[in-house]
Amino acid sequence: MIEAKHIGLSINGKTLLNGVNLSVQPGTFTAIAGPNGAGKSSLLKILSHELTNYKGEVRINDVAATSYSVAQLSAVRAVLPQHSQVQFPFSVRQIVEMGRQHFKSTTRHNQELLDEVMELTGVADWANRNYLTLSGGEQQRVQLTRVLAQVWDEKTFARYVLLDEPTSSLDIAQQQLIFSLVKKACERNIGVLAIVHDLNQAVQFADQLYFMRNGAVVAQGESKTVFTKPIIEETFCCRVNVYHDPCTNCPYIVPERTTLSTLKTASV
Amino acid sequence: MSAATITWKQQKVSALIGILSLVLVMVALVALSIGQVTIPLKDIVLMVFYKVGLTAQQPDAVFETVLWSIRLPRIVMTILIGAALAVSGAALQGLFRNPLVEPGLIGVSSGAALAVVTLVVFGSFLFTGSALGMSLVMPVAAFAGGFAATMLVMKIGQQLGKTNIAVLILGGVAINALAGALMGLVIFYADENQLRMFTFWTLGDLGGATWQKVLITAPVLILSSVWMLTYQFPLNAIAIGEAEAFHMGVDVERVKKSIVFFSALAVGVSVSLAGIIGFIGLVVPHLVRVIFRADNRLVLPASLLGGPILLLLADLLARTLVAPTELPIGVVTALIGAPFFIFLLVRANHKNEFTR
Repeated sequence: MIEAKHIGLSINGKTLLNGVNLSVQPGTFTAIAGPNGAGKSSLLKILSHELTNYKGEVRINDVAATSYSVAQLSAVRAVLPQHSQVQFPFSVRQIVEMGRQHFKSTTRHNQELLDEVMELTGVADWANRNYLTLSGGEQQRVQLTRVLAQVWDEKTFARYVLLDEPTSSLDIAQQQLIFSLVKKACERNIGVLAIVHDLNQAVQFADQLYFMRNGAVVAQGESKTVFTKPIIEETFCCRVNVYHDPCTNCPYIVPERTTLSTLKTASV
Repeated sequence: MSAATITWKQQKVSALIGILSLVLVMVALVALSIGQVTIPLKDIVLMVFYKVGLTAQQPDAVFETVLWSIRLPRIVMTILIGAALAVSGAALQGLFRNPLVEPGLIGVSSGAALAVVTLVVFGSFLFTGSALGMSLVMPVAAFAGGFAATMLVMKIGQQLGKTNIAVLILGGVAINALAGALMGLVIFYADENQLRMFTFWTLGDLGGATWQKVLITAPVLILSSVWMLTYQFPLNAIAIGEAEAFHMGVDVERVKKSIVFFSALAVGVSVSLAGIIGFIGLVVPHLVRVIFRADNRLVLPASLLGGPILLLLADLLARTLVAPTELPIGVVTALIGAPFFIFLLVRANHKNEFTR
């Protein structure tokens, strides 16, 4: 389990996070939703130990994150940042391989594992293509493949994948594909934490849902229970209506048409 | 099937490295043979055999002097410098995630040049014009100046205990500009002779090679070049992004510091030996990438071999084009390198390689 307790972060006197508690269970998909600037990405950076000047404590598999070495961390968690800019013409396979470089990627087992993950995410056909010639969405899929490859191997301990808006540049078919992949990862004792902008997708796929606003958690719990009109309206300052899909009974929202004045009243 | 692909790939890498090594040996032999005195290949082989003790047949005395005391040290030095410059360039390009970086960017060359011009102009008071003392002190000054400038640039690039690459590059630009201005100030006080001496030094010169110089500097050059080869995986990971590399288990801060340190060492020593030789560090890694893609597991070793090949060829041209005198090596590398660089930029425009 990744467990964050009383996380606080301020940069240049501005408080970005305040008293955030969050946990990610292995084998489950936890999503974080919230407006821009809510501190979601900062929280993700703290959980991945990229930011270290925070208050509070992060424990990964019951060990303090600070006592992990950089290499040890890479074995328990993989991270997909919002944008990855590659400047050199690597091939797709080379990019994916990098996720496993620490595990001696020349061995047969590693190569088979790479093939398996690449097949799963559907990038196997592009293996030898120049990464720079791919479209934004295709690049995103290659990066996700790299991230999954890093922790895909079955281990005695739970692994985690942290995703910062994994579907931001994908079309709806690709988005569905990515989230199904994420669910597949959960089956391998991997805990997934993702920042998700599309609320309907968040509630459709996530087991646990966190709503964040102004550096604090507004609500958290099982996705279908916290996915309510008042919580969403409070989080986003936007009038919404929650409906239920007649076939699956999965809730979904439709934002109300807002004018600037109603937006103002909502935030008051 | 996948296992077969891998072995094939491994074989391909080894084959390419093998071919490059072979080309290097051939170019080195040609460089040994051609010059003001042409030495036939069989005499070169004969002399090698004689030195090793395989044959008792005495080689031609003139050939032996030219080969052993003049050409061979020069060629060994050219190989070492070519390798050091090219590997430093490749490693720095990987580290800065920018294919247009060359070693001069971190201040080595301009720092060295400033130290040398200061020594040339004001040093005469210190050495009372002793030419020998000057020729010994100049390389030391060049190295010290280059290294000091790089350390200063690194210091500027430090923010909150981390190296900020953007600030580091801007720091390099600033230090280069400052060194340039100070050089101008010093040159203002220089006389004709000193000016000429300094100008030729900045254009590079491989002619001053002696066994003594080679033996003193070879360990440093070999160590720093080979050490940078060990950063193949971290540099690959950094190519995706610094944060991503950290996520994949790379201690990015340590990698940054070591690569800047060792490339400053390698380039500093090179500059102290042969003056400023541009474009090798920029063009060789590029050529390798154009031919073999970007994987640093290939780019670094291939640069290690490609640098010497290109520098040997450039030196061959420098020695033979205007015989019996020599063109400065820096002029030749720039004459070949600059048009090639422009070609790369134009080509990149088409392929949108650098701007993405």
